[in-house]
Amino acid sequence: MNIAAWFAKNTRAVIALVVVVAVLAVFGKSIPIWSGCTAALDRCADIVAIGVFQGMIVALVALGYTLVYGILQLINFANGSVFMLGSVGALFGVEIFGLTKDTPATTVILAFAVILPVTMLLTAGLNAGIERVAYRPLRRAPTLATLISAIGMDFILQNVGQVLIGPSPVSLPSLLPTTNIITEPFVIKVSHVFVTAITVPLLIGLMWFVQATRQGKAMRATAQDREAAGLMGIDVNRTISLTFLLAGALAGGAGVIVALYNGSAWWQYGFSYGLLAFTAAVFGGIGNLLGAAVGGIFLGVLISLNAFYVDPRWQDVVVFGILVVVLVFRPTGLFAAKQSERA
Amino acid sequence: MKLTKVGALAAVAVLAFSACGTSGGGGGDKGTVQIWSELPRQGSSKGQTDTIVNAIKYALDARGGKVDGWTIKYTDQDDSTAEAGKWTQERATALATEAASTTDLVAYIGTFNSGAAKIVIPVLCGAGIAMVSPANTYPGLTKPGKGTADEPGIYYPGGCAHNYFRVVPADDLQGDVGALWAKDLGATTVYVLDDTEIYGKGVADVFDASATAAGLTVLGHDQAPGKSTDFKALAAKIADAGPDLVYYGGITQNNAGQLWKDLREAMPDIMLMGPDGIYEDAFIEAAGDAAEGTYLTFGGQTADQYTGDAAKWRDEFRTKYGPDSIEVYTIYGYEAANVVLAAIETASKAGAKDAAALRAGTLAALTATKDFKGVLGTWSFDANGDTSNKVFSGSVIKSGKFEFDTVLGQ
Amino acid sequence: MTAMTAAGGGPIARFRGTLADRNGQFRIVLVLIFVTILYGATYNDLRQGALRGLFEALPLPSVNVLIVMFYYAILALGLNIVVGFAGLLDLGYVAFYVFGAYTTAFLASPLHDIHIPWWFVVIAAVGVAALAGVLLGAPTLRLRGDYLAIVTLGFGEIMPVLARNLDDLDLSFIGGPEHFNLTGGNIGVNPIDPPILPIPGPWGDSLVFSNGNPVASLYLILGILLLVFVVCVRLRDSRLGRAWMAIREDETAAASMGIDTVSTKLLAFGLGASFSGFTGAFFGAYSTAIFPESFNFAVSISILIMIILGGMGSLRGVVLGAFMIRYVNDSLLPYLGRFVDDPIQSFGAVMPEIPILKERVEAFTLTSYNYLLYGLILVVMMIKRPEGLLPVAARKAELHGEGVAAEATFGTSVEVAEAATEFEAKAGHLKIHETSADDAPGTDDAPGTGGRA
Repeated sequence: MNIAAWFAKNTRAVIALVVVVAVLAVFGKSIPIWSGCTAALDRCADIVAIGVFQGMIVALVALGYTLVYGILQLINFANGSVFMLGSVGALFGVEIFGLTKDTPATTVILAFAVILPVTMLLTAGLNAGIERVAYRPLRRAPTLATLISAIGMDFILQNVGQVLIGPSPVSLPSLLPTTNIITEPFVIKVSHVFVTAITVPLLIGLMWFVQATRQGKAMRATAQDREAAGLMGIDVNRTISLTFLLAGALAGGAGVIVALYNGSAWWQYGFSYGLLAFTAAVFGGIGNLLGAAVGGIFLGVLISLNAFYVDPRWQDVVVFGILVVVLVFRPTGLFAAKQSERA
Repeated sequence: MKLTKVGALAAVAVLAFSACGTSGGGGGDKGTVQIWSELPRQGSSKGQTDTIVNAIKYALDARGGKVDGWTIKYTDQDDSTAEAGKWTQERATALATEAASTTDLVAYIGTFNSGAAKIVIPVLCGAGIAMVSPANTYPGLTKPGKGTADEPGIYYPGGCAHNYFRVVPADDLQGDVGALWAKDLGATTVYVLDDTEIYGKGVADVFDASATAAGLTVLGHDQAPGKSTDFKALAAKIADAGPDLVYYGGITQNNAGQLWKDLREAMPDIMLMGPDGIYEDAFIEAAGDAAEGTYLTFGGQTADQYTGDAAKWRDEFRTKYGPDSIEVYTIYGYEAANVVLAAIETASKAGAKDAAALRAGTLAALTATKDFKGVLGTWSFDANGDTSNKVFSGSVIKSGKFEFDTVLGQ
Repeated sequence: MTAMTAAGGGPIARFRGTLADRNGQFRIVLVLIFVTILYGATYNDLRQGALRGLFEALPLPSVNVLIVMFYYAILALGLNIVVGFAGLLDLGYVAFYVFGAYTTAFLASPLHDIHIPWWFVVIAAVGVAALAGVLLGAPTLRLRGDYLAIVTLGFGEIMPVLARNLDDLDLSFIGGPEHFNLTGGNIGVNPIDPPILPIPGPWGDSLVFSNGNPVASLYLILGILLLVFVVCVRLRDSRLGRAWMAIREDETAAASMGIDTVSTKLLAFGLGASFSGFTGAFFGAYSTAIFPESFNFAVSISILIMIILGGMGSLRGVVLGAFMIRYVNDSLLPYLGRFVDDPIQSFGAVMPEIPILKERVEAFTLTSYNYLLYGLILVVMMIKRPEGLLPVAARKAELHGEGVAAEATFGTSVEVAEAATEFEAKAGHLKIHETSADDAPGTDDAPGTGGRA
């Protein structure tokens, strides 16, 4: 590509880049993250790794937001709570199987071979049910009416979570060994492998499904133009239900993972993770699957660096400050999807 | 048609209820007066406020709902809303104003949050209603020089009589006691965390200052907001600093369990200490194994130290509400209710004939409370309205149970 | 409600007729204002005197709840300018509320020991909030729909954090103190000076509008609500108002008709923010304190719910929505618990032994389920009346298929809004047509004041 033309096209981005580099050059020493990551690179890698694994969970939830947004242009507020109910499901599963920290690893793996799919099925059904009950009657209504309906569903599910496990967080037994597998160049633990082993296949599977299967094609067609898709013989209602099933399954899976990885379940996790995930989806360009995944991991790293080098109390300012800056320069997210640019 | 029906119904209701209202006063009694409690009854604090309400009801039922011939009508008021899930300024303001204009209200038990108390105290002060809090710990509410420059004078505008009391020791004592205990436990370097809220940051700030004064090295003081999803990076930061002990000022419902898990994972042998905000079974349930060995401070006697009447109450209460029903706020709530009821009794015996006199008498009796024998020990209210109790219990969590370890602050 | 029946006196049909007629609407508003004034004045005596039984039996709002309802109505009218008129989805309206409240805290509290009379402070608060609206709006107005939503949400999250954390600033680099407490931090700011009018009367030397004197505060906020409402009507019918709605319907078309979309949108942000600046000033002064924790996402969402529930863009609807949401949260839900808890608990005691369920029913308290109930109310309301309680005529027509889909809703792409896609209609999912057939056919949503321009 012609470099001059590229510059002309991306003037704004280039200016932004120059400004960022200039700021870092001048104030670099007093920005703790910057100086920390140049002074002690291996420690910085550890912290980034912590963020990446946390970000993977956020990414799974973010995919749920972005899938639904892509097809209905709806911010599905209830998604965070479906995720939270997933972790409650994991908690109940652990109780039913009677798992403790002394349970042999094979039993734990076998139990989770049951708990994970069952929870994902339940949350998928729940999410599709929510769509059927609370969103489908509003298909022709203003999006904001559906948004309020989604907020209402979110309230309902949060209350259900609170009634199920109580107002305080509840601990799960530490089922994952915390031993380090490697320590160089950064620390990787068994729990990290577990998170990766579930998250990455789910992500790849989802991408494959949307890109390569007939149903996926129907989803993309419906997202692009619902009416035309209907005219082409695609069952729009079924496709939308399928999208909600997928989003619910991902949220439930993320719930199970977070329950194991963090070792606790709490009704408020729906809100805290949900807000992060929604932000991540917007970061990546809402409607864009890869963008949501990258956005989630980016946020995880950002939060982790902030907690280590600055102070966790500034988390919201850092996360949303950077979000605002990114959106000012790239108004449709980092990876703007074509379909989300339509007005 | 519908509207007229509503009107008719309302009229019937008026008749029915006003009839009830007049008949209640008969039967040789001195009459009916009210006590309100103001607590957040929804959202995260519901667990604690449930136990407070149970304790107040228990204290009242133990007296048969009557004090020296006065029938006590207790109302459990809620200063939270469904949508906020916690106390709101609007509800606190509304309840305070409503209380101030309720003529047969003699005492007010609350608030749970120190912020709400800041709003409620001046309003009730204007009406001369005594207010006893089972949970406020912000020092500025009572102690000159511990809060902002003009506290606590601003809570008594226009020179109204001091009406605010609390049975729970303020943060300045608890943070201080914690720092000294940390030193006794052999720590030389500490790291301080808090949950950014009034209670948590308050107690952590005092711990921070007292630890420095006691010769401990404070390696850092970070704030971990309750809505954080995890604390793994923060734990790594603290592990790098390498303190002997981490002190956390905050409550269970700000995700203390997760914090404990992440700290323990990064530093398996670290000493962890917290205030009475995490001295509850919900904390053990939230932190799981990570809670083992946690050091906790609590203002007054813990349930396992009780003797005499307090022990009897403990056993009966546990029979009624379950073996784990006595938690910190149960004790504070029970103590607050009892000191209020005792003050009403004193006022009534001193010759209060109507609700107004009883209200004034109750306030006077509370101000004069001396050597009250309660479940927290024997204590008095000092001139600021604080409990004179400076004795703290230090407990340790062993095999998932709180165990009394040592008496602190003497 | 009962008082209104007494005033109308006639059968329902006549009442409906009055509702449809603009003069009738104006009369009803006058009656309601009168009833409110009377209710406020007599509330305390009636509650503990003649009507004690009635007040104990029915969830009548207290004077304080009325005040909260009124000032949330002002907030909702402000957000309505941004969302309802100009079609910009703002999920962080609370940010401007923070500006108003903290301007008041700076200028009328012991925090910096500045005590300017509230009447001047409120002007400053309005100005600061409006300025904040313009400044925050300027870089973000290129964003569309939900991207704008998340940026505003971000501001809504950032502002309270700043209020909480800016209590220990090191200003030594400009020669200031090393520990400067700008915002008061997490312990908040109190007491905020209340509005005072130096008019002697039965209330003392001067009239104080604070929570110590709720009735005076009620009249003050009622007066201001009416003023704000009239301002909103005038705005809606003005050239600016029509420009907003043009942008809402089709920004490109509006721009090509010569509307300066940037400054028009900025004006919407600034004016909308100024309302919340005012409310922030009143809120602080009335409840005598300000805490960072009072300003959170739930507040933004609550106000958004009010305007959508009431009918977006419809001023009557927005006010009604605000009244309903505050009333349900502050009066109705707490009240219901007192009546249903005991019967359900005693039912639990006698019900057959069903594991888990029985113990839950025995320990039933409605407060545990309030959130659920509130969510349920929202979902059902939206499904039954997606256009809101008192929608503007155009939107109602669109949703009920009476006219051509002349109005595309923002956030929904044009295709989707227009698409009453045949297969959906055939599938018969849309049963909303008959829900409000008997509604007033009025085309103007303003009661009385301000004719169409």
